[in-house]
Amino acid sequence: MAVASAQGGYLERPRPSGLADVIDIILDKGLVIDAYVRVSLIGIEILTIDARIVIASVDTYLRFAEAVNRLDIAQNDGSQGLPELMEGMTEGGAKSKTKGAIGGAKEKLGLGDEDEGDGGGRRRSKSRARNREDEDG
Amino acid sequence: MGEVHVYGVVAASERPEITAAEVRRIAHRDIAALVSDVESGQLTAARVLRAHWQVLEQAGAGCTVLPVRFGTVMAGDEAVVDEFLSPSHDDLAARLAELAGKVQLTVKGFYEEGPLMRGVVEGSPAIARLRARVQALPEAAAYYERIELGRLVAAEVERVRERDTALVLQRLEPLALATSHEAAATLDTAVNTAFLVERDGIERFSGAVGELGRELQGRMRLRYVGPLPAYSFTGEDTPAGSAAWA
Repeated sequence: MAVASAQGGYLERPRPSGLADVIDIILDKGLVIDAYVRVSLIGIEILTIDARIVIASVDTYLRFAEAVNRLDIAQNDGSQGLPELMEGMTEGGAKSKTKGAIGGAKEKLGLGDEDEGDGGGRRRSKSRARNREDEDG
Repeated sequence: MGEVHVYGVVAASERPEITAAEVRRIAHRDIAALVSDVESGQLTAARVLRAHWQVLEQAGAGCTVLPVRFGTVMAGDEAVVDEFLSPSHDDLAARLAELAGKVQLTVKGFYEEGPLMRGVVEGSPAIARLRARVQALPEAAAYYERIELGRLVAAEVERVRERDTALVLQRLEPLALATSHEAAATLDTAVNTAFLVERDGIERFSGAVGELGRELQGRMRLRYVGPLPAYSFTGEDTPAGSAAWA
């Protein structure tokens, strides 16, 4: 996926998007024609996609606590990155909430191949699907 | 005539080259909708989503396109005219005119954990003390202390995030016509902002992003995506108070 990053070198030019880079924009932005026109057809899948992650706050706090406690290790080898923290979030205690929703949506979307290399880059912390559905209904 | 996916709206004089899907134009006066027939049979969200993204990307490469929200399906060509293009004509034409020659550039920043956490501990004696106490206790015994520690860290990270967002906006906002501040998507998200920029201004804007990226290196990774159709500047979801779009 061609995405500019400061580490790889450069931000001198914007890069064309990979789908994974813009999925939040695509799902949430754009002109709404009419609530009633929208989607009998793919509504169910949209709900699935939009079930992007709800992190219980307690769980979030525990992860932050782990991150700050890891600091000594990080100072020594410099290798701990927040992406690893994010990986931990989906693999660890939050599995039922996060891995399920995101993993499911990604499988459905076939995003796996494009989405590597950036552990938690685009996961979302809230779902607007429910609201939207309520308004639309 | 069956249902159609509606991707976006362009000026009727534009004929963008689109290969991602069997896209047709439905023109009404000086504007036209880009649509494709809804295929019968198995539809997967993945295919529909990819098509939506690619059609708008290809359309946006050649001309100004007003993106329609993903997943919009209308009853047929007549419905596109009667229920969309015709009643909204003046508004759509005005928005298209406003967006002419402009693109969206999105800048996302993600924190590096080590430097972020080090800053948090060094900046807050309360966090440093609680952290020392938590580390001295067995994990199970320190459950509530860990939650409290995490709560303090989260609040501190939020403060850092606000400061960094302000820095990024201070540097980039003057080079953009409008700004749309998106929600922090993940715990490690530092910044997530869409900028509306003149095509002619991309180079200057990129220079500023590059400079910012070098300054923040080691502390934050920037991702710089675009040029995109102006998804975040269609007049929907524009956060109140942003320097936006009227």
